[in-house]
Amino acid sequence: MTEHDPELLNVAPGEPHDNMFSETLSYVIGMGLALLLTAISFWVASTSTLWGPGVAVGLVVLAIAQMGVHLVFFLHITSGPDNTNNVLALAFGVLIVFLVMVGTIWIMAHMNANMGPTPEMMNLQMQH
Amino acid sequence: MFGRLTWDAVPFNQPIPLITSLVVILALGAVAIWVTRIRAWPYLWHEYITSTDHKRIGIMYIVLALVMLVRGFSDAIMMRAQQSLAIGASQGYLPPEHYDQIFSAHGTIMIFFVAMPFVIGFMNFVVPLQLGVRDVAFPTMNNVSFWLTASGVLLVNLSLFLGEFARTGWLGFPPLSEKAFSPGVGVDYYLVALQISGVGTVLTAVNFVTTILKTRAPGMSYLRMPVFCWTSLASNLLILAAFPVLTVTLALLMLDRYLGFHFFTNDGGGNSMLYMNLIWIWGHPEVYILILPAFGIYSEVVSTFSGKPLFGYRSMVFATLAICVLSFTVWLHHFFTMGAGADVNAVFGIASMLIGIPTGVKIYNWLFTMYGGRVRFNVPMYYAVGFMLTFVVGGLTGVLLAIPPVDFIVHNSLFLVAHFHQVIIGGVVFALMAGYTYWFPKAFGFTLDERLGKAVFWCWFIGFHLAFMPLYVLGFWGATRRMQHIPDPTWAPWLNIAFVGAAIIGLGIVLTVVQLLYSIRTRDRRRDITGDPWDGRTLEWLTLSPPPHYNFAVLPDVHGEEAYWTRKQTAIKEERLIDEPNYQPIEMPLNTPVGIICAFFASVCGFAVIWYIWWLAILGLIGAFAIFVWYAWRDEHEHIIPVEEVRANARERRRIRMEHLHELSQSV
Amino acid sequence: MTTVSEAPAVGLTHQGSEDTGLGHRGPASKSIVVPYGFWLFILSDMVLFSALFATYASLVHATDGGPITNQLFDRKLVAIETLALLLSSFVCGLAMITAKRRNMLWTQGWLLLTGLLGLVFLSIELFEFGKMIGEGAGPQRSAFLSSFFTLVGCHGAHVTAGLLWLGTMMAQIWTKGFRQDIMRRLLCYSVFWHALDIIWVAIFTIVYLIGTLP
Repeated sequence: MTEHDPELLNVAPGEPHDNMFSETLSYVIGMGLALLLTAISFWVASTSTLWGPGVAVGLVVLAIAQMGVHLVFFLHITSGPDNTNNVLALAFGVLIVFLVMVGTIWIMAHMNANMGPTPEMMNLQMQH
Repeated sequence: MFGRLTWDAVPFNQPIPLITSLVVILALGAVAIWVTRIRAWPYLWHEYITSTDHKRIGIMYIVLALVMLVRGFSDAIMMRAQQSLAIGASQGYLPPEHYDQIFSAHGTIMIFFVAMPFVIGFMNFVVPLQLGVRDVAFPTMNNVSFWLTASGVLLVNLSLFLGEFARTGWLGFPPLSEKAFSPGVGVDYYLVALQISGVGTVLTAVNFVTTILKTRAPGMSYLRMPVFCWTSLASNLLILAAFPVLTVTLALLMLDRYLGFHFFTNDGGGNSMLYMNLIWIWGHPEVYILILPAFGIYSEVVSTFSGKPLFGYRSMVFATLAICVLSFTVWLHHFFTMGAGADVNAVFGIASMLIGIPTGVKIYNWLFTMYGGRVRFNVPMYYAVGFMLTFVVGGLTGVLLAIPPVDFIVHNSLFLVAHFHQVIIGGVVFALMAGYTYWFPKAFGFTLDERLGKAVFWCWFIGFHLAFMPLYVLGFWGATRRMQHIPDPTWAPWLNIAFVGAAIIGLGIVLTVVQLLYSIRTRDRRRDITGDPWDGRTLEWLTLSPPPHYNFAVLPDVHGEEAYWTRKQTAIKEERLIDEPNYQPIEMPLNTPVGIICAFFASVCGFAVIWYIWWLAILGLIGAFAIFVWYAWRDEHEHIIPVEEVRANARERRRIRMEHLHELSQSV
Repeated sequence: MTTVSEAPAVGLTHQGSEDTGLGHRGPASKSIVVPYGFWLFILSDMVLFSALFATYASLVHATDGGPITNQLFDRKLVAIETLALLLSSFVCGLAMITAKRRNMLWTQGWLLLTGLLGLVFLSIELFEFGKMIGEGAGPQRSAFLSSFFTLVGCHGAHVTAGLLWLGTMMAQIWTKGFRQDIMRRLLCYSVFWHALDIIWVAIFTIVYLIGTLP
């Protein structure tokens, strides 16, 4: 029929591959890293050792790292040529997520800042 | 037992909806009786309703869109009539509570149930053929998508007969759309209909992105795809990214209305500006979802009827992808006046101007394609040229509006209304009419009558300009949109011109129907024998018209850009077709009733939710779930087309092609 | 994953010639196409959640004088929920490994554990919701609470749907074995389940941890 295997340049997202040991190892390592990152997150959020404003940033970084762990070890999203479509789709999704969240927060913050006095404040003013 | 549904829901005391409902019911009844008498129900069921064939599904989408165009247009002409009549002392014939429903329905229907299905219908019909494959990636899901859209159509039209429609405009802004200020069923009809059809649309996007990226004919790399496929890819990526935001926004409003949540209410900490922000994050990409495939249609039409390859293919692709990404960075320009401040407005204003650049690249590419070519002015080319004249002006008014200080003056005025109608009609509608004429022979085996087609074009072109140019003037003079009553009598002549324009467009729509019926009547005069009536350049013209169910006996090998054109020129030059390939039996997906049954339960559930009939809503949900589980248990997914049939059809095609080889090329 | 047997199905009888990039060697097989389509759907679901997160971020301080985050959220419960969902994701992965080897007993076992851990997660969440509503901190109290219940509740609704799907998959595997189409669906299910854990990472970080910082 055909000598070309279309599968060579295509891997399904989430598809396990290789032998059983390395597949299992992938999940075990992923699990371990995720547990570690989660534990660190909970610790970071409750300790006073770190500089206050940095804590939120740190938590976000840890969350992103953990999402990465999930993507790589559980969903097998890698940077190989067989995964390009999957990575591109993910990149597009991440871009949209970023635009929606940052855009909304930025816009709403400005809108709220420009709002007039609240009803409670109006009441106080009226009462003079 | 029946929630809040009572006999009061029937508009006995409102003549216009009452009479319209009766007429519609009678018309539907007449059609049903006629279909029964010619014994066409089994045919319709097997060939269309349960079809998983992308060509049939595409046709159903377009039929749906054309029918809804009539309803949407009726709303438009009623509005024009009201605005011409209700001047000064007169109140016209539509009280505000009725007028408000009409403009809301007009916008909702035109965007969601005319433009979207029409565009999706074309993508359905054309993309697999142009990619040289047999169907989309998920044919059954395709069928489900169509029927979910139809369910939305059903619910919106039901509101005419039972209850009322929303009075909040086509986007349903709170606080007006909250329960406190719109306690009736109107907004609920709107929300439920859009949510149901929205699911269908997202599934379509999954289908087409997968199809275009993962299933193409051998040798068709990305940069060998037709431009229409690129624009379909970009459009579907936008659907995938934007529609979830619409789903969330409408769901939040539903939670406010049904469960007393406080997302957008005036009290409890709600923030109605958040709704505007979220809905326009969807709303702006939505218009690019519509215009990108339209640009793709123009690319096909212009290159075919200029007899030249498209100029600047790579820059077209790049411009398409640029528009795709940029369309997600401009949404605030829809609410410059809502108070985000100068910094925010400036950023989005600049972004909105930037997005005009890739569009400009496209216009130049089309112009350069025409330059030096032997342009044939068939009907599709009329629309292409008409588009270039009309859309560019519309785009320019858009760039004007992108400047925040200017927008502060004309926001929500008739200037805005004229702008978006210009880009939608000049851009999207003209493309749809061009595509309709261009691909009609491929779908049905004969071309439409040219003279009537040109008449339709002129009605649209002249009608559009008469209907909307006055609105730019009125906008500058301070006329707001959606006015049920006109306070200033000096506006009257302009509004009357606009009414005449609308009437001419109406004539165009009537002539479209006439053209169709006449063309069917006289189809033998214009049979598409070879399958390539326009000297086409892309793979859909390789097949006979209409193509067999499986499109191609053997998937074509693609050896360069313009796969079909090179192959055709080689065949003409060498006076022979390519060697006969080795035919194999072909597996095609089975038909399925899942789509229509699922849509039935979705409609039942939706109707029940609107009227607060909770037991029925739950039953509908269970039914929809059950049908999926039933479908999942299916063991047979495909049927096999025997090799004898494939061979016989293919040999017939080859015979016809060989016989008419020299007629295939206009340049010979 | 051979395509030679599928080649007739797509009528592929010509040999593709030049090397022209991804997806051009004729249509990819169903084992590629189906999971990719599902991956796209998951990404659209991510956008859906991003809109909910954006809403939450905009309304988190709109408490209308009512209860605020620090008064409501119990980090210990959240830690248990997180653990349950993470373990659930892990054993789901193990189920995929044994399913690929067509081992019925182990596969059903791991899938059952996946479901049970998911149920643990849901029960804790429902308990938390019930407690909050009982204290007068229900979704109708303020915009902040509306957005909290909707964001976290939407994730919970996805988990519920996932459990229904899991039950259906277990029944299908039991009655039809490890057929190709069933395996594709199982793969899609596992992608869905892992994606839900990714969303949960965002939720516990933003809502429960950052939200309750002093």
